[in-house]
Amino acid sequence: MSTKEAKSMDRRGFFKSAGIGAGAIGGAAVLAVAGKGAEAAEPVKSPTAAGYRETEHVKKYYELSKF
Amino acid sequence: MADETAQNFELSEEDRLRADWYMLLAQLLREPPQEHDLAGLRKLEGDDSLLGEAIASLAAAAKATDQAKLKREYHDLFIGIGQGELLPYGSYYLTGFLHEKPLAKLRGEMNQLGIRRADSVAEPEDHIAALCEMMAGLINGAFSQDGVPVPLATQRQFYETHIGCWAPRFFEDLEAAPSAAFYMPVGTIGRLFLAVEAQAFDMAA
Repeated sequence: MSTKEAKSMDRRGFFKSAGIGAGAIGGAAVLAVAGKGAEAAEPVKSPTAAGYRETEHVKKYYELSKF
Repeated sequence: MADETAQNFELSEEDRLRADWYMLLAQLLREPPQEHDLAGLRKLEGDDSLLGEAIASLAAAAKATDQAKLKREYHDLFIGIGQGELLPYGSYYLTGFLHEKPLAKLRGEMNQLGIRRADSVAEPEDHIAALCEMMAGLINGAFSQDGVPVPLATQRQFYETHIGCWAPRFFEDLEAAPSAAFYMPVGTIGRLFLAVEAQAFDMAA
């Protein structure tokens, strides 16, 4: 096995032991509960620059600060 | 959509999970969760790992709040009258000021990676939620035309230059912030997850 493969296996094992699957929940389940945020955050293709994608984030701040 | 190449490319289980954790953090920090999201968060169960315990705390915190309370908490933490308790921006943590060199550097790198801020967004790109979202996209290939993730070395460089050097401190501050109730376990999750990321990047080097 190459050093690279060994490292990648170590890394995989490490993530497992660190609990990023978090047993009962798992990242995917977490994301599912976060619901529609996920869709708002989907990067979309910019019509003006082919190949470029946009991130969408933090847009409600100013709205909230009107209180 | 990321077409045929993306379908042929299979994301490893751990990379899928990494991207999911980053997206969770991005979603929780971008704006206060809506009622619908809160309902889901209340149902979460963690295991006995540290992250699992933090998830259980998040579920408990979600049960103890509602949307109106959460809006106020978010406002007090991040917006404030004049200024919130925390400024969740890389430039601020690294230099003491907003819009400083770290932000310029980030913009340059985003340009190289083919990522840009959506027109509708007013916040600078070095906001923690934006950075988490970018990491997720680099990991799962959402920013690549062919849907293939950027190499681990590039992920690592991006992480270390723009996140690892300040975000762990931000998440500690969030855990300890006076107004943080729902956001306290969010801080814990961020701190724990980034520690795992940092250690894993070291292993791959």
